[in-house]
Amino acid sequence: MAISAAARLEARRALEPLPLLEGEQDDGTINKTLLDYVWRKPGKGWLLLIGLGLAGTGLLTLALVVTIAKGIGMWGNNIPVAWAFGIINFVWWIGIGHAGTLISAILLLFQQKWRTSINRFAEAMTLFAVLQAALFPVLHTGRPWFAIYWLFPYPSTNRIWPQFKSPLMWDVFAVSTYFITSLLFWYLGLIPDLAALRDSSTSRWMRRIYGTLSFGWRGSARHWHHYKIAYLLLAGLATPLVLSVHTIVSYDFAVSVVPGWHETIFPPYFVAGAVFSGFAMVMTLMVPARRFLKLKQVVTARHLEAMCKIMLATSLIVGYGYLMEHFLSWYSGNPYDFYQYANRRGILHGPFKSAAQDPYIPIFWLMVFCNIVVPSIFWSKFGRTNVYVMWVASIFINVGMWCERFVIVVISLHRDFLPSSWGLYKPTWVDLSLLFGTICFFSLLFLLFLKFLPAVAVQEVKEMRHELHKEHERHEIPEFSQEMVHPMELEVGEEEKR
Amino acid sequence: MPSLKLPILGSSGEGSPQPRTQWRSLDERERGLAPSGEFPPGASEIGGTSRREFVQLLGASMAFAGAAGCLKLPAEQILPYTRQPEEIVPGRPLHYATASTLGGRATGLLATAFEGRPTKIEGNPEHPSSLGATGLFEQASILQLYDPNRAAVLQEKNRPRSWREFLAAQHARANALRTKDGGAGLRFLLEPGSSPLIGELRARIQKLFPNARFRSYTAVSDDEAMRGARLAFGAALETRFDLSKARVIACLEADPLHPWPGSIPAMRGWADKREPGPEMNRLYAVECALSVTGMNADHRLRIRPSRLLPVALALAAKLGSAGGALAAFGRLGAKARLEPGQQRFVDALASDLRRAGRQGVVMVGPRSPALVHALAHAINSSLGSEAVSHQKPVLHDTETGADGLAELAAEIRSGAVDTLVVTAANPLHTAPYELNLATALDAVPNSIYRGLYQDETAQRCAWFIPATHPLEEWGDARAHDGTVTFLQPLVQPLFNGVSEAQVLAAFLGEGDKSPYAQLREYWRATRADAATAWEKWISDGFIRGTASPAESPQVRADAVAAAAQSARFETASPALELNVVPDYRLYDGRFANNVWLQETPDPVTKLTWDNAALMSPATARELGVKTHDAVDLGLRGPPVHAAVLVVPGHADGAVTVSLGYGRRGSEQNAAGVGFDVAPLRRASAPWGGRGLTVTRLGRRHSLAITQEHWSMEGRDPALDMDLSEYQGPGRERIEEGRVPVATMHTPWDYSKVAYKWGMAIDLARCTGCSACMVACQSENNVPVVGKGNVEKSREMHWLRLDRYFSGSEEDPRATAQPMLCVHCETAPCEYVCPVNATVHSDEGLNEMVYNRCIGTRYCSNNCPYKVRRFNFFNYTYNQEDVEKLRNNPDVTVRSRGVMEKCTYCVQRIERARIDSRVQERPIAEKEVQTACQQACPAHAIVFGNLHDPAQEVTKRHGDERHYFVLNDVGTRPRTAYLARVRNPNPELT
Repeated sequence: MAISAAARLEARRALEPLPLLEGEQDDGTINKTLLDYVWRKPGKGWLLLIGLGLAGTGLLTLALVVTIAKGIGMWGNNIPVAWAFGIINFVWWIGIGHAGTLISAILLLFQQKWRTSINRFAEAMTLFAVLQAALFPVLHTGRPWFAIYWLFPYPSTNRIWPQFKSPLMWDVFAVSTYFITSLLFWYLGLIPDLAALRDSSTSRWMRRIYGTLSFGWRGSARHWHHYKIAYLLLAGLATPLVLSVHTIVSYDFAVSVVPGWHETIFPPYFVAGAVFSGFAMVMTLMVPARRFLKLKQVVTARHLEAMCKIMLATSLIVGYGYLMEHFLSWYSGNPYDFYQYANRRGILHGPFKSAAQDPYIPIFWLMVFCNIVVPSIFWSKFGRTNVYVMWVASIFINVGMWCERFVIVVISLHRDFLPSSWGLYKPTWVDLSLLFGTICFFSLLFLLFLKFLPAVAVQEVKEMRHELHKEHERHEIPEFSQEMVHPMELEVGEEEKR
Repeated sequence: MPSLKLPILGSSGEGSPQPRTQWRSLDERERGLAPSGEFPPGASEIGGTSRREFVQLLGASMAFAGAAGCLKLPAEQILPYTRQPEEIVPGRPLHYATASTLGGRATGLLATAFEGRPTKIEGNPEHPSSLGATGLFEQASILQLYDPNRAAVLQEKNRPRSWREFLAAQHARANALRTKDGGAGLRFLLEPGSSPLIGELRARIQKLFPNARFRSYTAVSDDEAMRGARLAFGAALETRFDLSKARVIACLEADPLHPWPGSIPAMRGWADKREPGPEMNRLYAVECALSVTGMNADHRLRIRPSRLLPVALALAAKLGSAGGALAAFGRLGAKARLEPGQQRFVDALASDLRRAGRQGVVMVGPRSPALVHALAHAINSSLGSEAVSHQKPVLHDTETGADGLAELAAEIRSGAVDTLVVTAANPLHTAPYELNLATALDAVPNSIYRGLYQDETAQRCAWFIPATHPLEEWGDARAHDGTVTFLQPLVQPLFNGVSEAQVLAAFLGEGDKSPYAQLREYWRATRADAATAWEKWISDGFIRGTASPAESPQVRADAVAAAAQSARFETASPALELNVVPDYRLYDGRFANNVWLQETPDPVTKLTWDNAALMSPATARELGVKTHDAVDLGLRGPPVHAAVLVVPGHADGAVTVSLGYGRRGSEQNAAGVGFDVAPLRRASAPWGGRGLTVTRLGRRHSLAITQEHWSMEGRDPALDMDLSEYQGPGRERIEEGRVPVATMHTPWDYSKVAYKWGMAIDLARCTGCSACMVACQSENNVPVVGKGNVEKSREMHWLRLDRYFSGSEEDPRATAQPMLCVHCETAPCEYVCPVNATVHSDEGLNEMVYNRCIGTRYCSNNCPYKVRRFNFFNYTYNQEDVEKLRNNPDVTVRSRGVMEKCTYCVQRIERARIDSRVQERPIAEKEVQTACQQACPAHAIVFGNLHDPAQEVTKRHGDERHYFVLNDVGTRPRTAYLARVRNPNPELT
């Protein structure tokens, strides 16, 4: 055979996935890489971003105060469009909050090793996104001071129970369950790392704080035994929630009679959309974070590529959903549905000329562009491996998914059954502040998380390293194969050939 | 104490070398000090108090306040009625007969009062002008009673005066005038009236001041009609119409299907004959702007205002071409020079009228030229129309228009007027522009104005007297048919109002006399049976059998023909024409401060909180403007800033504007709303003219329109079909609207309960006049949201009137449809509410529990009819105390963040239930009427128990025209609609 060893290696490498860990690592270096930044002084950039986040959070607070003090009238909502930004933001944030649980729980159960480096990150994002989402269900009501407790079924003296037929009621349970489970899951995973932080802390106060937060974790075999069981159980519990939360959120629409809402396809299509947007948000945050926190050795190109593939897959599901909605609006023969979808597209037939001037048509097409056209770049290896491309694409997807909720909520409502009641919706400054403010608040929480907590599950990375190492020693995997890559091969497929 | 040397208002500036002039702007400095002083008129000032005096008073007040604190206040106890006033039960409303007048004619009313507090107005079923129904103006007048903007203080040149001071001042002056030249300098400008009491007072004043002169003025005057009658009959006669006797009705710019004063009987008569069948009437409308009547017409001819006379003449000519009474007109047909389409319309109308014979009638609106009225009289007389009768005018003055005002202005300018008493409603606002009445009024040495508000006229008159509201005064008036009607007060004047009769009595030296004594004495002296029948008259609200006797005048066809022969017809020219109309909501501007009316959408254009320059789509294209564009309208005077509103069905080459906007008085709600059309009007042509210029300003003036979407989009919410279609394929369309929709659930069984409430709305009867909207607003304490919120589609009307157009934009078919909660048996709103705030009653009402509502608004999203209304803000928090009095105590005033909607007037059902339970009998049909049903002049809405086959609602639910809106959604509504069927002339289709 005339083929040289180097060429063989090259050929082989082209078929192999990208590595999960880069460089020669041991527990010490991993500790150093992943925890050291907690002890460093915050940089100027971080402080600037925190300042922006705080300012945006202030704006959010102002918008909240104005809404509660004056009423929902401060928003642009009106009578055909009684739900708008409030619900759009709610669904958008909840959708974003899906990636965390999916990555943590489902991939854990499927034993997808590559999840390890990004799961903490994704879980935190989930938690903060659900926190944003949780603002809206109560805030969007006309009398939030009652909504806070009248929505919960408790035996009150006037013997009035909530309406269990209402999907909003189901939402209360679904979202609160999801939030609690996500919180527990995230925190449980944090405990060994908090202990590691405690152990490596240099100041007395830090040791105390992290010591308290780590609940006295000592890393004994017994601890690990319980920990593993609990973690697995929570993963099992969280898995159905990934499907249930967004299914139930989709019921908010699907259970109604509104054309454009009353769709049986909604549950799977919402879940896929949620995963889609969740991964996009992880991507949007991960790409800069791994660069600035110097996490490239643990969050490798392989992770990013896997996420791109998931986005591509969910984009296809979502696209299929769009296609089916429009097909069924014709196939069902329901005139209201047909008009609804024709009106969204702006491509009309027969007598519906009036809809051609609908001002919301560009939003529909922006959604199609962001959610269907942009992710097709991930069909190419270039798209999946170039971090700039994927980062920009992920932002487009975030925008597209927000537009999707706008299309569903506002466009469906603004032209329903009786043409006499049709009307337009225009957001006010309060609406825009709420959207912008939640993004800032989310970023603020995230920045704090990045600063004070380990952004990568350190103990899991160490565990993975050990496992990989053992497998190498047992020669179960060839030396040059996927999981361990020698420094000479470090530049493979990476953009940072600085 | 060193002097601060600050200038003190009213003092000469003690200690300062020169008095300093105060000014607020450079502009004012140049012009000198504003005549009204530093503060705006009406503000209370401390007159003539120096700083020292002020401080002394301040100190003394403090001292006395302290002294008062030492006093032991007398013990006051709040007690219930120790002796219950007869018939008053706390919480139980009483109804009193009274009336309101508009255009001088009375409409009999029943006012509902809770413990002496009127809250609601209904029609007096016995009264000939009401028949139990009311229009928008009557419904909304209750709001005016409690309007905090009403003037409360009698003033002379902005200084408060007492009634006695007024009497003393006028007494001296009037005496001087009388002895000088028999009161030649005394002038009265009254609101047109028919009150016998006022008539007597006028006669007595005339006796005392032989040279004094009375005139009446109103913007919407009958002058042209009177002139037409003089031309046709040789005498000023009023025409009464009984449309229940008419089969073919031609309306030439007449608008009998909107509840203008005296229109209600016409609406009822027309509606009673809209059942499809051989007896069904046929309505033709010839008009410029699409009117309520035009929306309901079977055929409509849109013409520019100047073409009305040719059309009327061509109609007379066509009818006269076959000889007969109108033969004199036969040869004038060529003079009209109609376009072919118009001629075809006129030919068909003429042959239809001829066929209808005694059941044909031609009606002409008050704005049309006298000759058109005369032609109509000639036609009606030649047809022998049974629908028409004539009577002597019920008004004291047959001349009530701009001509009299022009004469008055000339007299003032010649210096002949010393004392001018104005009780006409704000003549300054509606007076033709060139009269310059404002400066004329300034020149009157002693001008007196009585009005509800400190309006434009008040600001120019020396004396201002606050007026009483009709619910605050004793009085009388005649109905449109002459029936004597009484105004009975329900409350003491809330704002120190003085009645018109009292003002007049002041000139007889009887200003002290109570209004009740005036009225009582007059009637005791006039009618022998007053002693015994008085209480019955007052409790009935009118005297039976006092309608004016019908006259049978002879038409002088030759005189009319001669006038038509010599009339100069405007030749066809491309010049743009102006068409001024009274406003559907504000009338002539007197209701401008009434927020209910401001927020009621115009029945045709659905415009609120504005008037606009209405024009056809073709004219708009020609002018390069579109809806919301700001334009300048110019006609022989300074331009007027207006906003364009494009309306299908408007005549091309003409622009329609309405009266009553652009107010500059002290009415807060009217300020800055719309534009004043006065600069476009002339005494010689108050209703328009040719040569209007429209200039684009390149700005946008946002109009608050409640229904932007005109088309039904191929859906069938409001079924509207021709008779031929109804007898053929249209049945299927109707039946599709009522086939039971399959469901997996077992429908709830309502047969076990005694009552199954339901409603039926006959679209064939509904004219779209919107009286029901205001009635609902009044009954259910529905808040007003203001222009900004209407623009955001947040109006709160529980009942709205949808208006759809179909067909061509030139000649559309307009369909009105009242839309309110239809109380679905399987209501989509109920199951989505997470807190059970909207639930179903066992009698089938879809109920709203305000207390439980948290405002998720999901119910509104899921309501296919979008009839739910949300309190986006707290719309009632700034109600003043006096405004709170008008709230219906049976209906919760809703707070912010709560959803609300039509309840089928559940409070009325419950009231009837209490009575029926006490008396151990079922609720009768007549006992429960919803507010909209009660107000409807056309009987379009009925409500009742669907279990009772004898009830009208049950009959309508079995009618073959009945269908349910959005039946295919499967909501099973309790409100059925009856399809509108039109009766077009086969010759024209």
